[in-house]
Amino acid sequence: MQPGAQPLLAAEHLTKEYRNVVALNDVSFNIFDGITGILGENGAGKSTAIKIFMGLMRPTSGSAKVLGEDAFASVDVRSRLGYMPEHDCLPSQVSAAEFLTHMAEVSGLPPGAARTRAADTLRHTGLFEERYRAIGGYSTGMKQRVKLGQALVHDPAFVFLDEPTAGLDPLGREEMLTLIRKTHREFGISVLLSSHLMADVERTCDRIIVLQGGRVVHSGEVGQFTKETERVFIEVDSNREGLIVSLERRGVVVTPEGTGLTIEGSDESVYDQVRDALVESQAPLRRLAPRRRALTELFERESA
Amino acid sequence: MTGTVFDIGYRSYTGGREGRARGRRAVFKDGVRTALGLGRGARAKILPWIFIGVLSAIALVMAMVAGAVDRIAGPGGARQMELPSHGDYYGIAASLVFVFGAIVAPELLCRDRREGVINLYLVRPLTGSDYVVSRWSAFFVVMLASVWLPQFILFAGLCGGDAEPVTYFLAHWLDIPRFLLAGLAMTLFVTSLALLTASFTTRRAYAAVFLVGLFVISTPFTVGLSEEIGGKAGQWISMFTLSNIPVHVNDVIFGEVSELTEDAPARLLPPAVLVGWYLAWTLIPAVVLWWRYRRLTP
Repeated sequence: MQPGAQPLLAAEHLTKEYRNVVALNDVSFNIFDGITGILGENGAGKSTAIKIFMGLMRPTSGSAKVLGEDAFASVDVRSRLGYMPEHDCLPSQVSAAEFLTHMAEVSGLPPGAARTRAADTLRHTGLFEERYRAIGGYSTGMKQRVKLGQALVHDPAFVFLDEPTAGLDPLGREEMLTLIRKTHREFGISVLLSSHLMADVERTCDRIIVLQGGRVVHSGEVGQFTKETERVFIEVDSNREGLIVSLERRGVVVTPEGTGLTIEGSDESVYDQVRDALVESQAPLRRLAPRRRALTELFERESA
Repeated sequence: MTGTVFDIGYRSYTGGREGRARGRRAVFKDGVRTALGLGRGARAKILPWIFIGVLSAIALVMAMVAGAVDRIAGPGGARQMELPSHGDYYGIAASLVFVFGAIVAPELLCRDRREGVINLYLVRPLTGSDYVVSRWSAFFVVMLASVWLPQFILFAGLCGGDAEPVTYFLAHWLDIPRFLLAGLAMTLFVTSLALLTASFTTRRAYAAVFLVGLFVISTPFTVGLSEEIGGKAGQWISMFTLSNIPVHVNDVIFGEVSELTEDAPARLLPPAVLVGWYLAWTLIPAVVLWWRYRRLTP
């Protein structure tokens, strides 16, 4: 939370019910300038939250404000919002230049400005050389860039990115995450990144909102979240039991995992205690590494 | 001379934003370009331009035949022989106009839903109603131009081919508002019905085959049945010959029965019934189409 700052997105006691399913359950949070990650498994309520903020869905109760306006009541506010969907949404027959120009016009830009903005956006997203080719012939990575480009072409104040790295190879994924960081740091556009990949959120976002079963289970700085969710994995060649006894004597909570052990937390004191326990137990160390919890484990932990 | 390329970095947009009105115009403009295949590959241009060419060619042939008859039989020969004219044109071209609608209209709606582009429209300052009204208007304008153009060619041809063009013009200038109105009626009917059909499927081929099938099958079926039953019931069954519905209105506008409908029992029904029936077949599909898109969310 940024004291005194005006939130770009604000949810207050937001609830959305579909017949017998509660997609969002009395959710409240604010999103400020920067890159915010919204993390959750499928069905956690991420897409519902985005649809409500885009004004495409009326909440059952509560309020959703975007750029200070009621999200559902104002259609015009969408001219200052961008959206990159997860699924296919590109025409195969037209060129990227023509498509982005058209989308800029649909967002309200006059034709001349739309053409200029389309060319600029294609340059910034790395598609300038290929701009006159039909989109149908593009690779998956290039299509993702067009999808990002159409979300940025009208220079929105805020952009929603839904699983932007879906279907990309490691290099394409890294390039996309770099582009997302650039979107805020160089273009000055705030971002809400929806993902189920913690690594993407961690590497890109400043803040994080974790949704589970339609509720906010965590909200805060990414660094803090990372610290809270890291643990240490140790593997030894022998005398694992002696090491466990030695660690427990030092008050360290140890969980056996396969052939190794995991320890909660990853601050420096943990490593000191592990070093001392290894010396005491004479257990030959094979591997010592920080390890991130799986998303499902995190949710189980938050629920508990 | 050497030059330096400067990267001026990202520039925020500080110009005006024209909101929904600009969005609607952009979807309309894109619809017109899609219908005519502009900005697309050569294959996308073939069908619409063939249809426009053939529709115009029919009118050109009609004008040339009238001119030739005047030359052979002397001034006024074409009129005496009662050659097909403006009142007959839409009857003659009706099947082609329906096939045009059936094949081109789905391009405007099916592809956007099939490829997911509709999701990008609906997250912009545009509602489902804005989108469908703009698309409808785009196809309506393309169709209207396609059915009016041949009538103007025919009028110019008949005027120019007549031994006394000025006399011809003064005697027949009222045909211009008549064929404009009849073309409007034809276009409204085809646009609404074709786009409604396209709204039920993401496959353009299904929509086109269904529509062509509807027009092709309804004709022999209703004609046969209406002749078999006869009387008032036969006249009402004849009303279900879909391709005749706007042509009956054309007949009402021109005050004469065209070649297509001269054997249709429905021609004997009062003009108000024929026009009412046409309005039902035009307005109901338009309203259902709007209603379907009004509720659409990504």
